[in-house]
Amino acid sequence: MKPFFRSVRWRLLLWYALILLALITGLCLLAFRLASDDRTSQIDREIRSFQSTFFRSLFASQPLPDKNELPSLDEIRQRLRNPGDVSAFPPELHALFEDGGGGTFLACWDSDGSRLFISANAPDDLVPPRQAGDGSTQYVERDHRREHHRVNPSGMSSIIGRDISAEQSELRNFALLLALGGAAVWTAGLGGGWWLAGRALKPIDTIGRTASRIAAGNLDERIELARTDNELDQLGGVLNETFDRLAAAIERQKRFTADASHELRTPVTIILSETQRGLKREREPDQYREILANCRSAAERMRALVESLLVLARQDLPASGTDPVPCDLAEIAGGVADLLQPLADEHSIAIHRELSPAFLHGDPHSLAMVVQNLLSNAIVHPPSGSKVLLKTTVTGASVILEVRDNGPGIPSEHLPRLFDRFYRADTARGQASGHTGLGLAIAKTIVENHGGKIEVESATGTTFRVILPRG
Amino acid sequence: MRLLVIEDDPLLRHSLCEGLREELYAVDSAADGHEGLLKALATGYDGIVLDGMLPGLDGWELLRRLRHEKPTPVLMLTARDAVPDRIRGLDAGADDYLTKPFDFDELLARLRALIRRSSGRGSNLLEIEGVEIDTAARTVRREGEAIPLTPREYALVEYLALHRGSVVSRTELYDHLFDESDDTLSNLLDVHVSNIRKKLGPSFISTRRGHGYSIE
Repeated sequence: MKPFFRSVRWRLLLWYALILLALITGLCLLAFRLASDDRTSQIDREIRSFQSTFFRSLFASQPLPDKNELPSLDEIRQRLRNPGDVSAFPPELHALFEDGGGGTFLACWDSDGSRLFISANAPDDLVPPRQAGDGSTQYVERDHRREHHRVNPSGMSSIIGRDISAEQSELRNFALLLALGGAAVWTAGLGGGWWLAGRALKPIDTIGRTASRIAAGNLDERIELARTDNELDQLGGVLNETFDRLAAAIERQKRFTADASHELRTPVTIILSETQRGLKREREPDQYREILANCRSAAERMRALVESLLVLARQDLPASGTDPVPCDLAEIAGGVADLLQPLADEHSIAIHRELSPAFLHGDPHSLAMVVQNLLSNAIVHPPSGSKVLLKTTVTGASVILEVRDNGPGIPSEHLPRLFDRFYRADTARGQASGHTGLGLAIAKTIVENHGGKIEVESATGTTFRVILPRG
Repeated sequence: MRLLVIEDDPLLRHSLCEGLREELYAVDSAADGHEGLLKALATGYDGIVLDGMLPGLDGWELLRRLRHEKPTPVLMLTARDAVPDRIRGLDAGADDYLTKPFDFDELLARLRALIRRSSGRGSNLLEIEGVEIDTAARTVRREGEAIPLTPREYALVEYLALHRGSVVSRTELYDHLFDESDDTLSNLLDVHVSNIRKKLGPSFISTRRGHGYSIE
């Protein structure tokens, strides 16, 4: 059950339930309070009007001599002790003089505590109220009765009250009704909240399902967007973009792996085929020598390929190589040219150097690899007797390395894909010349890791230009 | 049996050609798709070993174009072992498929099977008038006794036996027994035939003057 309650839907519902409960309870309490206050003030009004009716009736049967004069205390005492002809009283007062009757009761005491008037329907446990004699009314509620207690400054005291059990039970019923109604509203609210939470979370659920299908390998699938541009759509859009980039990266990786395995298969095939052929029968030493030489060429090709793959793999790592150090591209290029001089001599290629100091921050070893790849291409591909220009310059904020040959150039259809991994413009020479098809891809990766770019122009002769930020 | 090897990698091409020649095949080679297609269309090869990834014209396209003209048995070699590539090759008209790196003996066995199927037989053994030819072991026995034949003689016997009952012209024999680098004198064929008759009996091969040879 634990994970069940951990779900966002349940949590939302829980909070919603708590808030709704507090709101409904507050509302019910308020309603109850208002109703109860209303009822109490109505009762009080009734009691007060009963009191005035009683006193009016008391003096109505035997009117005072002077109508405008207030009756004296003694007069009042006297009237209370002897109310006179009760039958002349209005019918609502009749209960006062009937034993055991309900309704409003009335009791008056003199200042010495002696009884002036106790109505017949008054409960037996009434005692004169004790309080400050300032003529104010105190409201007392006990034993289902509401009583008005009052002590006059003269010391006369009175209690007027009535049984309110009917009202109380009515209030209780009202409270029960409120509670039931509140509970019903709360339950309905919970249902609505559950539905709303589900509805709000449904797109997230859909996104989650789609994402897990994509994670399971179905890379072509994408999250469906409702085109409403709400938060969830934006999230879906961001996720879709991420999936696009991931799918492209995986596709590139797949193609690279397929290409790499393809490139490795051919030399392995040669070694297998040559050794099996060689072992089939006894041969002359010359034939064995030839077979071994073929195997060695294939193995050397594999070594070059494996080394190039390792370089690429290292360059592909986000934090590859060493920290950049200040170095001079001219010095690096000069060093590589010295190293490749024997190869140039072999192909009768003249390397012409125009190296002016070009300082930058970078990894000298990787940069040397770039120069070596570009320069050895320029030595191997053009016909013998060609010239190669190796040049470094500084322009503005950039350091530029140029390798230019005056060979026949590269057909323009090859140029866009020239830096692709395993792309070979010179297919006729193929692998046999020891080229892995990775040299330019490696150069491009290294240059880009240094924050620069590499360009190629080819018309009559080919120019490779590496532009790096100046250090 | 004359084969064509179309493979762009020079080392592998050399290795395949040498290996197949040592197995008594006459072998021509082509380094790219266009050259391969030209040769395949020009000569009636008994089988073609075709690499998938070729410069110029790739193996699948070459196969498609070849199939418009000829039903020559084709064994495709490729470094791509993904199922769609294999399906594509077979659908384009390849008769068999082998993934690099392959076992050379398997390549030989598959080639034999390919040639056998294309001549409409089910077995490697041919039996003609008490002479038993095993095309897998490349041996000939007469009444249980092994008869030593030179590679050329064996190839001649095998080719005629595979086309038993029909007259095979001298040109056809030249086409299928000698590769493009052979510069054989035309009467060499007669020398081989007469040597075979000495070993397997005078009536084993009959001559149809002006037409060619046949095994009845």
